[in-house]
Amino acid sequence: MPAGRGRTGARSIHELDKVEKVSGRWQWFHRLGSPKWFYEKTTRWLPWLVGAMALFLAVGIVWALLFLPPDYQQGHTSRILVVHVAVAGTSLSFFPLMAAAGTVTLVWRIKLADMVAKNAAPLGAWFTFLTLATGSIWGSVSWGTWWEWTDSRLVSMLFQLFLLLGVISLRAAIENAETAARACALLSIVGCINVVIIKYSVDWWNTLHQRSSPISMEVGSPNGPEFWVATAVMIVAVYLFLAVSLIMTTRNEILQREDKAQWVRELVAQARQQRPAEVKHG
Amino acid sequence: MNRAGAGAAFLATLKRDLLISVKRRNDILNPFMFFIIVVSLFPIGIGPESAMLRQIAAGVIWIAVLLASMLSMDSLYRSDYEDGSLEQLLLGSQPLYLLVFAKNIAHWLVSGLPVILVSPLLAYMLALPAEGYLTLVLSLLLGTPVVGMIGSIAVALTVGLGSRGLILAVITVPMSVPVLIFGTLAVQNSLAGGSPLGYLALLGAMLAAAVGLAPVATAAALRISLN
Repeated sequence: MPAGRGRTGARSIHELDKVEKVSGRWQWFHRLGSPKWFYEKTTRWLPWLVGAMALFLAVGIVWALLFLPPDYQQGHTSRILVVHVAVAGTSLSFFPLMAAAGTVTLVWRIKLADMVAKNAAPLGAWFTFLTLATGSIWGSVSWGTWWEWTDSRLVSMLFQLFLLLGVISLRAAIENAETAARACALLSIVGCINVVIIKYSVDWWNTLHQRSSPISMEVGSPNGPEFWVATAVMIVAVYLFLAVSLIMTTRNEILQREDKAQWVRELVAQARQQRPAEVKHG
Repeated sequence: MNRAGAGAAFLATLKRDLLISVKRRNDILNPFMFFIIVVSLFPIGIGPESAMLRQIAAGVIWIAVLLASMLSMDSLYRSDYEDGSLEQLLLGSQPLYLLVFAKNIAHWLVSGLPVILVSPLLAYMLALPAEGYLTLVLSLLLGTPVVGMIGSIAVALTVGLGSRGLILAVITVPMSVPVLIFGTLAVQNSLAGGSPLGYLALLGAMLAAAVGLAPVATAAALRISLN
């Protein structure tokens, strides 16, 4: 809360107006923290996000699978990389996301941040798992092995998966929701630092993995525009998918946690009227 | 709260925890026995050829140390939590991270140090070449406190839970991977005739970072767990 807000009662209207203007800078932040505001805004955003996601996914996948010319060395397997790179890049953003949400939870005690963090952990675990899965499918063809310990990225992804499972199991073990929120927030911050240390320490191993290759503007060259543009489209698509899933699960969470709030009750009553057969038992 | 007061509280906590450990020998002895048993299982499971054992000796000892420290850490804050003295520490005027640090040191002295002292003997049983001994002991000396302090955060987060089961291991083991990597790389490097100083320096850096950050995180975790 802005420090001035509690004292505004004794001030003139004019002064109050000034205070409002100053605190207005932070108002968006606190409004963003209100579950109701978030729910209403995302009701409006969601169709657009889903539409954009569908568009990018369709373009990216069709392009990668049908139109991308096969790589001169890897042949058709390079198509897997378009998906793999996008999913891998996205799964790296979960710990920073959870650590940021955790900081908000610990410092400002904004409930919404924890709702996001809670749903980000299982999503992150799935993304990390998909990164490992697509990576090893690609590796089975390109390296001739499904799993390679000397590859540092595979190994550090595996440990990121373990850390995320640790956060999930800590959340599951603590019954009190607020304690769970703050404990997971702290663990996410510690985990975020640790993921970086694990990444660099695992890098000391000799690696089979390709260094990221420089992109090239020349059509037809390996890593030419047709490859990296397809990958970029796919990265945007996967990030949109992440945003959509996170928003949808968070909306679910809001309805569950705020089920005593007036606006949620009204929403449920409305839904009951519209679809009486389906929600009768809800 | 003055500086001397904080120092006195630090020493008092250290002394108290050491005293309690001496009186409750089983909490210390069981993980120690576990460590020795785990190490001696490896030759039986893998095979007695010393050529093979030589290669895995450092890794086996390091992993056994990690597992044993999981076991010993479980009791780190539990009895203090149960008899209410942990709450007194939280309510007291002394900086909590300092007292947590004292507890970590006490715990390492009774659980980490004995394991390190016996590790050359086990290394001999696993046929580790002589040039690896010093590095192994040094890497354990630098690495085990880091593991203990990381584990201390996890224990603090789960201290109030009735059935924490494997959560402690699930949280702590992945976070200890960097220590395991540099600990074993140091030994392997000195076996290969190189200098382990680089890896030991990295372990030292981790120790410095852990001393600076982990007690603060543990203190925050204790405050969360005890509300």
